[in-house]
Amino acid sequence: MHIPDSFMPLTQGIVYWAVALVFIGLSLRWARRDMDEERIPLVAVLAAGIFAIQSFNLPAGMGTTGHLVGGALAAIVLGSPFAAVFILTLVLIVQGVLFGDGGITTMGANILNMGVIGGFVGFYSFRGLLAVFNRVDPAAFAAAWLACFVPALAAAVEMYWAGTFPLREGLIAMGLYHAVIGFIEGAITVVAIRLIISARPDIIGTGTKAKVAGT
Amino acid sequence: MIQTRTLLAIGLAAAVLIGIGAVFLATGGPDGLESAALVVHGEKSLTGPAPPDAEVKAPGRNGVSYIPPFPDYNLGVGSGRTGSIIAIVFGIALTFGAILGITRLLRHRRREENQE
Repeated sequence: MHIPDSFMPLTQGIVYWAVALVFIGLSLRWARRDMDEERIPLVAVLAAGIFAIQSFNLPAGMGTTGHLVGGALAAIVLGSPFAAVFILTLVLIVQGVLFGDGGITTMGANILNMGVIGGFVGFYSFRGLLAVFNRVDPAAFAAAWLACFVPALAAAVEMYWAGTFPLREGLIAMGLYHAVIGFIEGAITVVAIRLIISARPDIIGTGTKAKVAGT
Repeated sequence: MIQTRTLLAIGLAAAVLIGIGAVFLATGGPDGLESAALVVHGEKSLTGPAPPDAEVKAPGRNGVSYIPPFPDYNLGVGSGRTGSIIAIVFGIALTFGAILGITRLLRHRRREENQE
């Protein structure tokens, strides 16, 4: 889902960067307020893990591949959508600047899609679904699926505005592929959350802690 | 409950193992966005396989052509899988270090503000 430079006019890239910067600023404020000495290294490990697993593409059928994005995972574990913005911003900067995975001018759009939309959709759908299912696993799975699917639709609309994809075909292709890739996102998110809860329940963020404490 | 240092070691080791595993086991081929680009440009059917010679057309919507130091998670031509492993491990270390550095800096600034 990493949009390269060539897929978007520079002016639109700047607009997405401007919007992303607002959320990046808010995520830095979250990091300043919510981080303590005990959680900082664990957040760094989570980010390193998300970077690593993003490089692991799995077959998704229909001639396409996919990997975990990690927006829902970061937001659920750390109890805030801004955790996803914070971590995904750093991951996308390293990927774009060092490895050319995603563009520089389109990095704002990528941060907006995977960090902001993925983080907010993942976090709030998890909270809502947890109230419905009353179990972490199905709520986390569905939230992670949505955190993959909705940003893909957003990227399709951005590609339409950029003149790169026709709207209908872009939405169908992006929606279909990421509906399948979302199962990879959901499965890995559930496994990772289970492992983290069993290893260190104390690092689960205050935004989700009370909800998952009894599981 | 696992101690922080132990969890750090386990977490970083797992990240490195996943990264190395990706070099050997990850599937090649277009990702979701690239597949969608192939479909809208008529190079691939929606549900069919990607042709082996299919190339994602770069529409060239802006003039920026940034050349990264390690394109495609590799140190360069001829560095092979070893180059990919080094590149990915470097990326993991940099991501870990950057988050650690920035959060420590932000915490330090908060402490300074609280003391004033």
